[in-house]
Amino acid sequence: MRPGTRLTRHVPRRVTAAAAAALLLLPLAACGGSGGEPEGNAPDVLRVLAGSEVKDLEPLLAKAADAVGVKVRLSYAGTLDGAEEVANGGADGRYDATWFSSNRYLSLIDGASAKLSTQTKVMVSPVVLGLRRAKAHELGWDTRRVTWADIATAAGQHRFTFGMTNPASSNSGFSALVGVTAALSDAGEALDKSQIESVTPQLTRFFSAQTLTAGSSGWLADAYARQGGSGGSVDGLINYESVLLGLAGRLKEPLTLVYPSDGVVTADYPLTLLASSPKKELYGKLAAWLRTPAVQREIMTTTNRRPIVPEVRPDQRFGGAQLLELPFPNRRSAADELISAYLNQVRRPSRTLFVLDTSGSMEGDRIDALKQALAALTGADTSVSGQFSRFRNRETVTLLPFSSAPATPQTFTVPDRDATAVLGRIRAYGDALHAFGGTAIYDSLRSAYETLAGERSNDDFTSVVLMTDGENTDGSSYDDFAAYYRTARRKVPTFVVLFGDSDVGEMRQVAQLTGGAAFDARTGSLASAFKEIRGYQ
Amino acid sequence: MKRWIGVGLALLLGVAVVAAVVLGNRGSGGGGGPAALVTVRGVIGSEKKPFFDDPGVRAAFARHGLRVEVDTAGSREIATSVDLRKYDFAFPSSVPAAEKIKQERGATRVYSPFYSPMAIATFQPIVDVLAKAGVVRDSGGGYQVLDLGKFLGLVAKGTRWDALPGNTAYPARKRVLLTTTDIRTSNSAAMYLAATSYVANDDDVVSSSSQVATVAPIVAPLFLDQGYSESSSEAPFEDYLAIGAGKTPMVVIYEAQYASRLFAADGAIRPDMRLIYPSPTVLSKHTLVPFTDKAAEVGRLLQEDPAFARLEAKYGFRTSDPRVFAGLVASSKAPIPAGLVDVVEPPTYEHLERLISTIQQRYLAGARPSS
Repeated sequence: MRPGTRLTRHVPRRVTAAAAAALLLLPLAACGGSGGEPEGNAPDVLRVLAGSEVKDLEPLLAKAADAVGVKVRLSYAGTLDGAEEVANGGADGRYDATWFSSNRYLSLIDGASAKLSTQTKVMVSPVVLGLRRAKAHELGWDTRRVTWADIATAAGQHRFTFGMTNPASSNSGFSALVGVTAALSDAGEALDKSQIESVTPQLTRFFSAQTLTAGSSGWLADAYARQGGSGGSVDGLINYESVLLGLAGRLKEPLTLVYPSDGVVTADYPLTLLASSPKKELYGKLAAWLRTPAVQREIMTTTNRRPIVPEVRPDQRFGGAQLLELPFPNRRSAADELISAYLNQVRRPSRTLFVLDTSGSMEGDRIDALKQALAALTGADTSVSGQFSRFRNRETVTLLPFSSAPATPQTFTVPDRDATAVLGRIRAYGDALHAFGGTAIYDSLRSAYETLAGERSNDDFTSVVLMTDGENTDGSSYDDFAAYYRTARRKVPTFVVLFGDSDVGEMRQVAQLTGGAAFDARTGSLASAFKEIRGYQ
Repeated sequence: MKRWIGVGLALLLGVAVVAAVVLGNRGSGGGGGPAALVTVRGVIGSEKKPFFDDPGVRAAFARHGLRVEVDTAGSREIATSVDLRKYDFAFPSSVPAAEKIKQERGATRVYSPFYSPMAIATFQPIVDVLAKAGVVRDSGGGYQVLDLGKFLGLVAKGTRWDALPGNTAYPARKRVLLTTTDIRTSNSAAMYLAATSYVANDDDVVSSSSQVATVAPIVAPLFLDQGYSESSSEAPFEDYLAIGAGKTPMVVIYEAQYASRLFAADGAIRPDMRLIYPSPTVLSKHTLVPFTDKAAEVGRLLQEDPAFARLEAKYGFRTSDPRVFAGLVASSKAPIPAGLVDVVEPPTYEHLERLISTIQQRYLAGARPSS
């Protein structure tokens, strides 16, 4: 999760000249610096703000140090978060380049294009549907041409299920949402607000088949692979072709890739120099190297992405079908409208439980941080990514604070319109929390699962968040909980937040046991960890 | 727009001194090249980047004691939002953009060393479909043209590919539109606008505000209905070459982009790819605006030195001596005409800018522009 591709040491030949220049420039840099400079900004280091999608290129990038003398340091951010950071200047001085799977959303933000300098496309991967072989065969999609409308019809008839990432957190989900909407709208041109409204009923049918969600493509693929494909509840994934092809060796039942004949949205991975960076030459070296035929071939064979240079042709793994590209919105309002409609109207509702540590050690800054993080989810975070991570319309939220023992769970249901009043009540409840007493982590977590066991299970995306700042001091132990969990009626993932003096090992065990994930708020803020988790809910 | 200019001017006035100092220091080496070379920095349209990156071009500059470094940006960005203080010259792809920069920077002269007609890169099956629909025809001059008048008729009706009669080769549900760059930032789209606005204005160059008002609604869908478009002209051509007709059945390019690939014989132009021209077309005259004496030397060499003319032609540009380009066409047997007959002038900077601004407002308004 943490940034930092540690790469081989490579001493530049002009080290003395460079060092001399650095010395001369030092006083200037000190005056002009904005502070908060991440370490490791040496002259041969290119600091890249990237989408987690390009993580699989780390081994290849490590070779750039020897090949062209560029050490690449990747830091990861979500689609919208990253785009906002670049657009509002937050990336200036901290990064030299960006590398997301697409610059399209970023380019829609006012003023963002002035932040960007040269853009170099590196590779290509369309977003398509991968379905386990037997299911694809059953539907006849392994042999005949299939349109998104066909897929939507089958989805509405509950003939298959799929997983997809959250469009507000991850570019593959966003691209898929745009593609499906463009294809279903039958408009033939770029989407606008009225088209989105008119296609909402069809979208709702389509996404009724979505039973797995995630904040990142990697986690989605892992979660799908974990369920093994044998009688698992999810039949397939909508994701990058590269991710779907990459799953090949990890599944009991291989995926059949379905390339809808009415079009796809394709990621083109532009390595983009930030206008504020002085490391133009370094950027140029890396970009040119990435486009050499040998590297393009290596990208194709090791990451299953299609080459961008015409000298290297895609091999047979990609099939021969011509892929039509669907138009992408050219206005931010349309893009945001679409994401909002998806989250608040179209997809299945969320059922979320927050198990929150309010023990004595939370007193002071920590409980304040918790209140702030909860408030952000009720709409207090007015950034666009903040609005997309708030408690959604139709979501049922249970807050379960605990200290020496679990408190009585408080449940709120956000209505399908006019969410403000309920959001206000959740916020007020959070604001009234106060810190005292011990830390009964596992009694409280168990209480969350018991709450769920008492409910009729439905198709909602159900998950638990566990936030604690210390070790378990009261009640049952981790082993007790693990034993309980194995017999629990509802098996849903717990997303744990590491905070303060959390027992990191045990918390990770909880995440692993339940198929969740761990998020680290010990260095960053609690609010941003909560926001990241929202991508998974 | 107006605000950008205001900010730009304030910045220019405010930091002119700092810029002078920084640029002065930069010139004295230390960037890594042989110490004898003077570094000259420019911001250019992306289509000229391969030319400046060519080892032959770098060597030719080195022989004159120069090392030229470039950043790329859309021509309209160069003329409006790019921070020109960082550069010794700007090299946009059209005379109107260059004239604007020249005025704002108080440059004394400009150089137009080469030009390229606007063209359309497409595929044989697409040409066949459009020929059947009467939109593509032979020019009589040994090349095929896309009749912009008939094409605008298709666009006005919101025609989709799968609605074209007898089209089994490309039955896409997408609208029939040429892929362009972002009209708000890039010159190649602006040149396409120049040509289409001429047709929409009853075959006359747009030369008044009232004509702008009449023509804008006709041409706006050409850009808005495409959806997202890229800011520089290399990107969509790259999609054309690498991804093909599925994404980019027809793309507006500079002829030079296609010609340079043919001259290089690098296999990028595959057998089913075709170069046709809009009728009428316009010429993109690449024009260098120098801010320093050394940059003026760069402009002079590019325009007058025969060694540079050969290199320019290699990158598909037509230079003042037509024999250089014609020689390459002949030796590579490239299907490129010696000259084009149906060429019109672009509107003046003010009118072209007004047309672009009007279309830009439609982006902001989010209004459905078409039918």
